Amino acid sequence: MALFAAGLSHKNAPLALREQLAADESKVREILRDLVGGGALREAVILSTCNRVEIYGVAEVPGEARAAAFGHLCRQRGVGTAAVDDVLYTYAEDEAIRHAFRVAASLDSMMIGEPQILGQVKDAFALAQACEAVGPALHTLFTQAFAVAKRVRTETDIARHAVSVSFAAVELARKIFTGLTGRAVLLVGAGKMSELAAKHLVEQGAFPIYVVNRTWARAQEMARALAGTAVPFEELPTAVAAVDIVITSTGAPMPIVTRRIVADAVRGRGTRPLFFIDIAVPRDVEAGVEELGDVYRYDLDDLRQVVDANIRERLREAQRAEGIIEREVTKFRARLGDVEIIPTIVSLRERLEEIRAGEVRKTLARLPDASPETLAAIEALSAGIVNKILHVPITKLRESSRAGAHRSWLESVHELFGLRRRS
Amino acid sequence: MGLALAHLVQRQPLVHRLAMLATLVGWIAHTLALLVLALQLGRPPVVSLANAVSVVVWVVVLLEMLVERQSGVSVLGAFVLPVVVMLSLKSSVARPAALAPALGNAWLWIHIALALVGIAAFVLNFAGAIMYLVQEREIRAKRPGRFYHRLPPLETLDHWTYRTLALGFPFLTTGLILGAVWARTAWGSVFTFDPLAFFSLVAWVIYAGTLAGRAAGGWHGRRAAYFAIFGFAALVITLGAGLFLPGRHGA
Repeated sequence: MALFAAGLSHKNAPLALREQLAADESKVREILRDLVGGGALREAVILSTCNRVEIYGVAEVPGEARAAAFGHLCRQRGVGTAAVDDVLYTYAEDEAIRHAFRVAASLDSMMIGEPQILGQVKDAFALAQACEAVGPALHTLFTQAFAVAKRVRTETDIARHAVSVSFAAVELARKIFTGLTGRAVLLVGAGKMSELAAKHLVEQGAFPIYVVNRTWARAQEMARALAGTAVPFEELPTAVAAVDIVITSTGAPMPIVTRRIVADAVRGRGTRPLFFIDIAVPRDVEAGVEELGDVYRYDLDDLRQVVDANIRERLREAQRAEGIIEREVTKFRARLGDVEIIPTIVSLRERLEEIRAGEVRKTLARLPDASPETLAAIEALSAGIVNKILHVPITKLRESSRAGAHRSWLESVHELFGLRRRS
Repeated sequence: MGLALAHLVQRQPLVHRLAMLATLVGWIAHTLALLVLALQLGRPPVVSLANAVSVVVWVVVLLEMLVERQSGVSVLGAFVLPVVVMLSLKSSVARPAALAPALGNAWLWIHIALALVGIAAFVLNFAGAIMYLVQEREIRAKRPGRFYHRLPPLETLDHWTYRTLALGFPFLTTGLILGAVWARTAWGSVFTFDPLAFFSLVAWVIYAGTLAGRAAGGWHGRRAAYFAIFGFAALVITLGAGLFLPGRHGA
């Protein structure tokens, strides 16, 4: 029986192919039932998202099981198997364990650390359980994969820092202000990114929201969407002075928030910082305003730079996460190995103890008037010999299970000592 | 301290726990040492300035642990503990002092105690100012690095330096006044030249100016942080002067 993982992902398969293969829940159910029911696989979990289509399974011959699974999938989706075979990867044993851990921990994701994948893996596992396709091996594997993913998430920062422009802007605001609750926000102009940033700010408690737009109707519409207040364009300077955070994204060819407006706004606002998020190209906020007291200004390029820095930070954290994964794989393998060798060790001990006890009985029958000291000595001698003999085989078995090469050793031990198969 | 710095760089929760544990163990050992000293002396262990600095260190570490626990700012240790180590080294390499003859008056004990609490508050003030400047620099430079992600927001840090200043200043002021009053009764003059008294006056003027600027002149942020650093430098010189230069506070 071998554990394996096979499939294709965003790493090597084009989007078009992934789209064609991605199967919905009912299709996955059907495939699982056919595969496990038909005996091609003993256990199976199918993970199908827009970035990957993978099967995790336990089978006598992983190659055949993989071919059966993807042949089935291709037939069902009407995709030629040739195109799929080229991009399929297969991992066995340790590599399959590692792959499962990395996928669940979002290290194999397109955007490292993205949080959705763990939920998708959990859903896939639950679905397979519902189809009675999960046995002890995959159960242990996935339960452990969830624990590892959690560990990676709490012990590293792979999912911590913003990797989108609008989130990076909110993160910056949170590093300038002590909490965003009750911070007033002014949104100038319209745009997807700026609206998103404003929404994030509102989610973090920012209030009230003012909206300025050259088109009054548009200003009113956006104010409604954000539960804010529309302000006439002419009152822009007053509005800037009244708020803490200004998001701009107009199509104006010249800066509309001039140095003079900001200078007036800064005067008399005390120690409150003023933060400009300028997402417009060309820029809406005149360069140099950040020289005025507690004014901070980030334009689109600055924000992209922050995002790049955050992605680099995620990659650095991913390195640490890989270390965690490696240690977990080793631990998991040892655990699996122990599970397999312990019955053999037990029966080995029983077998030798049986021989020893029998021989001691025979010897004592021939020594009816042996003193208690002699009896004790014979017991100790025989027990000592048995332990000495057992020492090396047991150590070897444990070592080989740590190294993942215990199967052939188990066979030999059974043969050599004439042990009965337990299962 | 090394562990706290390692935590700043590595952000491993385990390293942080070890650092906190090491700090706590060190602090408990310090407490015991101070208690033993106090029992031997039969009075509070502030008979020499070196002892007194040691007590400051004890108070600061206690405050650092409490604030870190309360605020969850797990990098505070990395900023406070280096200062603490520096002060400890200073107090341990100072010449061992004989019991100053002037000690013994209750007012004098109060003078010492107040000055020590003031200094402890200013150590935290200094740490807050440094963190503010580092964080401000990273945000202004638009290249957020390691510190950006680990330090608290600017407003919080600024607020913090203000609060520690407002806390430490009354203690320092009362401590100085009591010292002056004592000097008058003991030596007949308020201000015969004593290096520690002189530099502590310098520090007091800097802190008084900063507090006035903050309260009335709207000072905050970078400027206030710079003054917090100047003030603390003056305090460090004050203690250095007391430990190493001859004068009434020393041996």
